[in-house]
Amino acid sequence: MRTLSTRRAVTVFLAPAVILYLLAVVMPILQSLWLSLFEWDGIGPMKWTSLDNYARMARDPVFMSSFRNSLVYLGINLFFQVVVALLLANLLLSVTRGRELIKTMFFLPTIVSTVAIAFLFQRIYALEPMGIINLALDAVGLGDLATAWLGTTRTALVAVSIPEGWRFMGLYMVILYAALLAVPKDLEEAARIDGASEWKVFSRIRFPIIRPVWATVMIMAATYSLRGFDIPYLLTNGGPGTSTELLTTYMYKKAFRSVDFGYASAIAVFIVIECIIAVGLIIVILRRGRQGEGALG
Amino acid sequence: MTGAVATVDRTPSERRLRIARMTSTAIVLVVLLIQTYPIAWIFITSLRTPADFAGSNPFSLPSELTLDNYVRAFQDSDLVRYFLNSFIVAGGSIILLTALSMMAAYAIRILGFRGNQVVLALFLLGIIVPVQVVLIPLFISYSNVGLLDSYQALILPMVGFALPMSVYLFVSFYGFIQGEILEAAVLDGCGPFTAFRRIILPMSTNTIVTVAFVNAVFIWNDFIFANTFIFDQDLKTIPLGLQDFIGAMGATDWTATFAAVSVTLVPLLLVFLVLNRAIIYGLESGATKG
Repeated sequence: MRTLSTRRAVTVFLAPAVILYLLAVVMPILQSLWLSLFEWDGIGPMKWTSLDNYARMARDPVFMSSFRNSLVYLGINLFFQVVVALLLANLLLSVTRGRELIKTMFFLPTIVSTVAIAFLFQRIYALEPMGIINLALDAVGLGDLATAWLGTTRTALVAVSIPEGWRFMGLYMVILYAALLAVPKDLEEAARIDGASEWKVFSRIRFPIIRPVWATVMIMAATYSLRGFDIPYLLTNGGPGTSTELLTTYMYKKAFRSVDFGYASAIAVFIVIECIIAVGLIIVILRRGRQGEGALG
Repeated sequence: MTGAVATVDRTPSERRLRIARMTSTAIVLVVLLIQTYPIAWIFITSLRTPADFAGSNPFSLPSELTLDNYVRAFQDSDLVRYFLNSFIVAGGSIILLTALSMMAAYAIRILGFRGNQVVLALFLLGIIVPVQVVLIPLFISYSNVGLLDSYQALILPMVGFALPMSVYLFVSFYGFIQGEILEAAVLDGCGPFTAFRRIILPMSTNTIVTVAFVNAVFIWNDFIFANTFIFDQDLKTIPLGLQDFIGAMGATDWTATFAAVSVTLVPLLLVFLVLNRAIIYGLESGATKG
């Protein structure tokens, strides 16, 4: 379209988006990098400390436990949003009626606000008045196990992670299901006639074909989990103790409660690096998987 | 399905297939219940009388229905105010976002220029950036220029973070527009601006619906930006206002709190139920064609 393209037209159409993107995303990222090299309470003079904030992380037990908690949070979310969602998408293929309706209903939690979700799960987990989980335990005679799931150190982290998994599971299932629909049916049938088990059909035919979509879903689910903030912040805000503190909630506290802008910026930069590493790992695994197939023929 | 159930299975493998189908359907239905029941429960509880909620099993069906909870929810809070703020922020963000991303994608994919792939790649990198990294710098900049407690303080980062995915969706959609249509337009004497208005804009309706709705969900529900940049009671958006309501009334007036939560769910729910085909279709094609 050389004839349509003039320098003026490109500038007029592109500049507004680029300027806003620079202002709202790119510049603040660079500012965070810069701030992470200082000690600053937001009012007094900024004190240059070079990489001290990053060294401080390694010595900070709360940071280390938050990092571990974030990984658990990530693992639980990936379990629901990638593993369970993929399983459900496969199961949905063999449902004969009402698939469109089922898809729509699976998707519903995605549009509920995190504030409403936090309120909902607070009620579901509650001991007083009894939430549905404790009621169910009571009903099957396991009343002894009833507990305040969010208030108990041992269970709080899992309890805080599940709502986020629940929230986006339907979204990813819908995407994976669309990819599975595009797998040629004759290929599957031919394999079944040759006596391939359902697992073989899935692992040798379906999965290799949907692998790129699966990778997109992995990347979305992983980066969204690593930046997950609202639900843990609203449900427990890190407690009891630091048992549900994630890097994001810890960073927020350091920034807006302790007003320790330098250290908080360093943690924010760390979260960005985490996301980049996660995406890199997923791409590497994806490539390796492809090569493995090539070797097998 | 009923026909298949009625006929006798001829071979063991058919029998196995039928059992597998029934098991899959059963599992899907159980998960369906897990996905939807909690939302239904919020609405059901919002219609209970407080005595009914306190007196009986809160998960049983209500003995009588009432709308009083909704009356109290509106009386005891600034729900109307929060709605107004959310409409302004979401409306402003979405108009700006759709216009900017559509224009940028037009420049990148259709007009084309040297380095357009680099610009696209820089936008795409934004998809993985966690919002937390901009909170402190924006907070500092806003307080320097007096933008804390303003609608713009929310609109700017919301649009910024939604741009990458939206630009990407428009770019991949424009990849399907045939060159001949534009060539014919150029022969008719169309310039880049007329071509955009007369050809590209009318063709983009479906993508606009997807981009607008998907982002409406995130913008309408945003908590972290509002919680960081808004302190003025009169400027609070729905998530923030709702959180206040839950904090103040959650332990005293349960059923009114459920009513308030229900009210905040309704707008997105309505839009979604009306447009769900277009939205799900757009999401699927966006994610699978990339």
